[in-house]
Amino acid sequence: MAAGRNLGDVSLSDLVLSIADNKQMLGLRYAEWATRAPSLEADIAAAAMGLDDLGHSRVLYGCLEPLGEDPRGPDRESDPASLRALPYFDEPWTEWGQFVAANAILDTAFTVMIEACVNGSVEVLQHRLRKMLMEERYHFLHGRSWLKSGIRAEPLRQAWQEAIEWFGPPDGETAQLHKDGRLSLGPKELGARLQERLETKAPDTKIDWKKWDPVRRRGRSGAIDERTFAMLRGLEEKRFAAQSKEA
Amino acid sequence: MSTKYKRVSGDAVEYEVYARKTRAEPLHQVGSVVAPDDDLAAAYARATYDEERWIEMTIVRKDHVIALWQPGETSET
Repeated sequence: MAAGRNLGDVSLSDLVLSIADNKQMLGLRYAEWATRAPSLEADIAAAAMGLDDLGHSRVLYGCLEPLGEDPRGPDRESDPASLRALPYFDEPWTEWGQFVAANAILDTAFTVMIEACVNGSVEVLQHRLRKMLMEERYHFLHGRSWLKSGIRAEPLRQAWQEAIEWFGPPDGETAQLHKDGRLSLGPKELGARLQERLETKAPDTKIDWKKWDPVRRRGRSGAIDERTFAMLRGLEEKRFAAQSKEA
Repeated sequence: MSTKYKRVSGDAVEYEVYARKTRAEPLHQVGSVVAPDDDLAAAYARATYDEERWIEMTIVRKDHVIALWQPGETSET
């Protein structure tokens, strides 16, 4: 098993925290495109989807306590690598194609996992996450439609690779949670559902599960950029407040 | 480098957005969106006009609306 913790240490709370961190970063990256998308409608959709996903992350963080275990430690205040978002969100996106690939593939991958939680046996997830699925319907329509416009192969390949990695290895904790009934789908079924939803086949991906981090659910190290991390901790806000005081 | 998005200009068509807040009131037009297909139009309509608590929202392609008469005309013309 990869760096950090062993499979046995990874719980449903870890998975929920990963969904929350990813949705938080997805929401922030969407919002960064609220004035840069190809049309005014797309600008508004980027802002709206950003707000949706930031809201979803709040709900997911709120599920950690009822689940009986909150894996967030004090290192989240100082170490950006303690956050559990995918490498895709480490840096701001520089092209619309990255937005589209994240919207179509990663957002849908998170939705498919949320469906697996809602249809699993854990009551708090069944109840609290259901509404997200309704909102996500419009994210999906947006992503799938823009995907038809054709985007560069690289962001698409990266998004698929990270989605499949994020679902986890065939014999990992996602598979175990599925076996226990807490998730209605395992990694194989999640991948199949994602392809079915997007009406496309995932490109061939080679994943070295030995390098995969089961806690951060990603295959390579790295972390979100410093500015985004500072903003998450409220430091950006303080910086602007100090400037206005001096003025 | 700027990209020309055909889906924004070339292929995009106008959709009218209708909504209502209560069962008692009829649907009325709340605005419009421009999109290249029904899926994106639905996503745009929801993102743009979902500020209020509508109980129903629908969209229709403007070119599917059949005008019987228009401003300056009468029902007899």
